[in-house]
Amino acid sequence: MDIKKERIMILAAGLVIGVIAVVLVLAGNPANMGFCIACFIRDTAGGLGLHRAEAVQYIRPEIIGIVLGAMALSLGRKEFSVRGGSSVMTRFILGFFVMVGCLMFLGCPFRMILRIGGGDGNALLGLAGFVCGILCGVLFLSKGYSLKRTYRQPLSEGLVFPAVQAAFLVLLVMAPAFLFFTAADGGPGGKHAPMLLSLAAGLIVGGLAQYTRLCMVGGIRDLVLFREPKLIIGFAAILAAAFLGNLVTGNFHPGFAGQAVAHTDGLWNFLGMLLVGYGCALLGGCPLRQLVMAGEGNTDSAVTALGLLTGSAFCHNFGLASSGAGPTENGKIAVVIGIVVVTVIALMNTRKENK
Amino acid sequence: MRSYIATFYSHFGAVRFRRECLARGNPAKMMPVPRALSSSCGTCVAFEAEEAETEDPYGEIEQIVEIADGKYIPIYKAENL
Repeated sequence: MDIKKERIMILAAGLVIGVIAVVLVLAGNPANMGFCIACFIRDTAGGLGLHRAEAVQYIRPEIIGIVLGAMALSLGRKEFSVRGGSSVMTRFILGFFVMVGCLMFLGCPFRMILRIGGGDGNALLGLAGFVCGILCGVLFLSKGYSLKRTYRQPLSEGLVFPAVQAAFLVLLVMAPAFLFFTAADGGPGGKHAPMLLSLAAGLIVGGLAQYTRLCMVGGIRDLVLFREPKLIIGFAAILAAAFLGNLVTGNFHPGFAGQAVAHTDGLWNFLGMLLVGYGCALLGGCPLRQLVMAGEGNTDSAVTALGLLTGSAFCHNFGLASSGAGPTENGKIAVVIGIVVVTVIALMNTRKENK
Repeated sequence: MRSYIATFYSHFGAVRFRRECLARGNPAKMMPVPRALSSSCGTCVAFEAEEAETEDPYGEIEQIVEIADGKYIPIYKAENL
């Protein structure tokens, strides 16, 4: 595939994904949350009882679909490749703190774009922080930062994470009494599109993201490092489709105050997404990309996703997550600790070029 | 001079390979990995040489392809790829 065709494909994929996100909101997902990898992993953690925040408990089929969709397409294209072993625990910790940043801002990079497309001005400050965080990561990349290489692993190892997602799907369908479900009027977790629609949307987005390698972090990283706009075209296409879709459906509400599942504290919106951009640049991909790579058999990404899951449970168990009322004091401390920890990880894994 | 693309297990591997290409006097630049070569979104090195160096003392090279007639012709793949 030449570069022009790659750019057209990623543009088309971005437009389709943006439309799907708008459709999911119309079908029941929370406003500006057609997709949010962080929120949906957090909801899944709640559904499994890993935290007890009653407003955000629901095993989200979109997450399951993304992983299984990426897996199906990678198998079909003979690109399912089981590998891992690259600084696994470090990736877990990075995933953990990326989630801390996401839940300070109230959204992953994907939802940040959807929030901007819905007119949420607070997300523009998040975008500024996100870009600054990626630039911090790129600085270390250019100085020799590396989490070291991956190694080939047995097939069974790569199947575990998709199998866990399939098990979550079975649990969701069977809905045993030990799962937690937010009541319909009980908060964001109670707002969701029909299960099959959510699953289908996840499968399509997972497949498209696998095919195009769509990544919110990679777009800005490649633009800065190589002046290559390919991935950021996907980013822009999602924004354009979400913006137009929200305009058409009457869901475009420009402003700062009163935005859905958002707060107006600009500094902490900025710092939360700075932590996300910084951590994701060091991980080599945004939360969406981590799920897609986990579906392709990358066990490092699977461990990162577990870091995200664990982080989300901690955020709600320890009062780190923001709400519409704003960030918490615990959350602010956690974000500062996160920026320090990510910087220490960057410094410890940066080596001189000649070593 | 022939044209090649090398892909790596890490960004750092690409940085070091490019530096060594330039030290040998071979034009080289880093860029995102073309989709046709990998589903990974990492960094590769496009370089020119009379003949590609396929020794990999650091264990960082994933594959090397030669670009000929707009096609990628594999000339090296890591054993465990």
